[in-house]
Amino acid sequence: MANNNRRTVTVRIQRFNPDADAKPHMQEYQVELVQGMTVLDALHEIKTHQDGGVTFRRSCRHAICGSCAMNINGRNTLACKTPLKNEIDKHGRVTIRPLPYLPIIKDLVVDRTTFWEEYLRVKPWLIPPDDIPEKEFRMSPEEVHALNNAETCIMCGACYSSCAVIGLNKKYIGPHALLKAFMRVLDPRDAAPAERLAEVSGADGVYRCHTIFNCIDACPKGLNPTQAIETLRKLAQKRQKYEQARRERQKHLNEPIP
Amino acid sequence: MTNSDAITHDVIIVGAGLAGSWAAMIAAEQGVRDVAVLSKLHPLRSHSGAAQGGIAAALNNVRPVAGTGPRGPLEQIPEGEEPVDSPELHMFDTIKGSDWLGDQDAIEILVNDAIDVIYQYEHMGCVFSRTPDGRIAQRRFGGHSAPRANFAADWTGHVLLHTIHEQALKHGVKFYSEWYVMDVIIEDNIVRGVVAINILTGEVHLLRAKAVMFATGGYGRAFKITSNAFANTGDGVAIAYDAGAPLMDMEFVQFHPTGLYRHGILMSEACRGEGGYLLNKDGERFMEKYAPDKMELAPRDLVSRSEQREIDEGRGVMEDGQAIWLDLRHLGREKIMERLPQVRELAIDFAGVDPIEEPVPIQPTAHYSMGGIPTDNNGQVIADAQGTPIVGFYAAGEVACVSVHGANRLGTNSLLEASVFGRRAGYAIAEFIKNGAKLHPVTGDPAERNRRMIQEMLDNPGKELVEDIAQELKATMTANCGIFRDDEKLKRALKDVRELQERFKHARVMDKSRRFNTDLLAALETKHLLTFSEVIVTGALNRTESRGAHARTDYPKRDDENWLKHTLARKGEDGRPELSYKDVTIFWDRFPPQERKY
Ligand SMILES: Cc1cc2nc3c(=O)[nH]c(=O)nc-3n(C[C@H](O)[C@H](O)[C@H](O)COP(=O)(O)OP(=O)(O)OC[C@H]3O[C@@H](n4cnc5c(N)ncnc54)[C@H](O)[C@@H]3O)c2cc1C
Ligand code: SF4
Ligand code: FES
Repeated sequence: MANNNRRTVTVRIQRFNPDADAKPHMQEYQVELVQGMTVLDALHEIKTHQDGGVTFRRSCRHAICGSCAMNINGRNTLACKTPLKNEIDKHGRVTIRPLPYLPIIKDLVVDRTTFWEEYLRVKPWLIPPDDIPEKEFRMSPEEVHALNNAETCIMCGACYSSCAVIGLNKKYIGPHALLKAFMRVLDPRDAAPAERLAEVSGADGVYRCHTIFNCIDACPKGLNPTQAIETLRKLAQKRQKYEQARRERQKHLNEPIP
Repeated sequence: MTNSDAITHDVIIVGAGLAGSWAAMIAAEQGVRDVAVLSKLHPLRSHSGAAQGGIAAALNNVRPVAGTGPRGPLEQIPEGEEPVDSPELHMFDTIKGSDWLGDQDAIEILVNDAIDVIYQYEHMGCVFSRTPDGRIAQRRFGGHSAPRANFAADWTGHVLLHTIHEQALKHGVKFYSEWYVMDVIIEDNIVRGVVAINILTGEVHLLRAKAVMFATGGYGRAFKITSNAFANTGDGVAIAYDAGAPLMDMEFVQFHPTGLYRHGILMSEACRGEGGYLLNKDGERFMEKYAPDKMELAPRDLVSRSEQREIDEGRGVMEDGQAIWLDLRHLGREKIMERLPQVRELAIDFAGVDPIEEPVPIQPTAHYSMGGIPTDNNGQVIADAQGTPIVGFYAAGEVACVSVHGANRLGTNSLLEASVFGRRAGYAIAEFIKNGAKLHPVTGDPAERNRRMIQEMLDNPGKELVEDIAQELKATMTANCGIFRDDEKLKRALKDVRELQERFKHARVMDKSRRFNTDLLAALETKHLLTFSEVIVTGALNRTESRGAHARTDYPKRDDENWLKHTLARKGEDGRPELSYKDVTIFWDRFPPQERKY
């Protein structure tokens, strides 16, 4: 962690306060690149020592809270997980903009109202069967594994803001919420997969997805919303049968996995 | 803004982590219609989501393979065979972990409610890892004498938080996302409401309620190296203290043994739970010297001190010798990928080290706040050692001090605490409202008072940068009120904190705008750090013994005769903490104090 490779680098940040500015503009800052520094560290350094007005969201600083998604050198990702040096090496400087397709509240902070509305729309909670056991429902490690792809989603919105469909149509449910729906549909404990599948295969749902895969490229957690959407499409086509199979499975939810 | 133009609710809960969301969900489920949760972060950004390793409960799903000893591999317990664990054992471990400072009645509730709470999470859709026969998977954790950490890979907090938030939404709880609470109104020992900034608009509002609950989380941000999120600035403790409520056992701060070197970011204790080693620069598993029985899985206070000793005696690693190796290589790729995927990614992203290939440099990191706002076993905040309630005021989770963790918390017991006591507070609040609680008037104009305070901060032309003050505070708290403390260091810390409080009066907020002013929020948060740090140091200076996480080199022994008691701190007339003490609840016939050896 030597100090000898310190150098000053340029960070360009898109600034916009709707109360004061007619339109967004870019502002340049210089920071000293310290080994191990992330883009979030650079933003923090700028905010605390140069310009307190620079505004962004952050909390956990290790890629688990989902606060700090933004557009860094043209890519939607988490600032806290992006090494500053990599960006400098690749692009010579760092240009930071807010997540696209969403109204700007201030600088890098965007208004996520539609994002959360869609999340609510898919009823993210489990709809359990009537028969609740005294102890846990039995699920096999494989059944759990199938949910991992969705379960670790941190709702950062990087996918949502790189989705070309969202760019055109704010009514599209979006990759994040479809991933959540996928998680519930696949969960053997959920009692309403057919209803969910009907909801997500409506006009604003899975058929809107053009499989452009932007969401996969963007996801900082390495998740695959496109695949989840494809699975939902397939299941939607045979949703009565799927529901039937679910009911069968639920007869054994209280029994050990053989 | 006075009584009539205030926003009103039956219940206002501040904080949307596990504790706050449980309380909100339960209160709503119990029929309280008007429950509102205020959170400075979007609820799903709460720090509970960062918890990795697990949540404790004696479910008896796994046991060590017979004949392999206490550190051997685990297997599911075949149906119908003898249990290896019990709430009673969980209780003993927690009491011992607490160095006998935990209140045993509260601990008994914690371990008994634990089982039901975990099953409830599971029934609500939480995705736990599983044993082959489909039960919730469990692993070992430090200080627990049976494998009772229930987990979802190493993102346990994340799945718990999402599950409980979903349920709160389902029950119609109203969320005020990105509202910053800066004041609580208590008059004549009755709570009346809070003052909060709508971060989006910058407007300051009075919100009145019949019951107010604080669930604002911990205060690890007072230290330089910490596992805590930016948001963990102890707002709740500072605000309650300024409003006249006492704080309990603030001097007990947990340092976690495995923070990533220089970053402090947590490498979950699950690393050691799964069998990871700690090595010094000679490649020695040095825990042999300090805890020959439990080794790496001794409780955190002990392991952190052992690491610090190795470092202080020149056996640390990295250029400055300030780190220790966490070695996971022998666990093998498969186990690391299956059980510790997030930890692996963190090590790669933040230290450039793949634990499958190389040991990870780590160091102790400020992690957990044992102290907080004192409550009874139902989350009711108490005003004094006699347990006089502050009517309508509740607290749970890391902001509160029940106390189940005493002088040192065991890993996996705090997700549990936030859930168990958040849930209990939810029931208690529902009772309180249904029994006809009233909306009490507020005197004067607290919103205006807070607005003026903010305006003064914005108008302050001072030369000090908020961040410099915060950094100096963290430096002195780490150096002088950290893992090892003594009279001289603590006096220096106290002097520093008070000087910094003075300097803060000349701090300048750079951003003068109203909309989403996070620069202003950082200033308010720093003010809170300065407020409660003084309480931590004062408590530590007075407690002339070593107990749990409070280690005094000048008083290296636990002193039950004089110090088997909780510290209560209240803001005095002169603005300085005034200390008094409160008895610890001990079941003398069952769990009398013993020497604490591992
Ligand atoms: C990295 C890490 C890993 C951990 N792993 C484990 C583990 O494996 N097992 C375990 O048992 N424990 C673990 N813990 C501890 C545990 O996660 C916490 O103690 C627990 O989650 C606290 O929950 P809480 O509900 O009290 O607070 P939090 O989840 O911290 O929530 C606090 C809430 O209060 C809000 N808030 C704060 N201040 C204000 C304000 N002024 N105005 C409005 N809202 C406010 C925040 O927005 C947030 O919603 C870990 C902790 C850390 C740091
Ligand atoms: S799928 Fe990935 S990119 Fe999309 S919200 Fe979840 S974590 Fe973020
Ligand atoms: S700060 Fe939490 S994801 Fe980046």
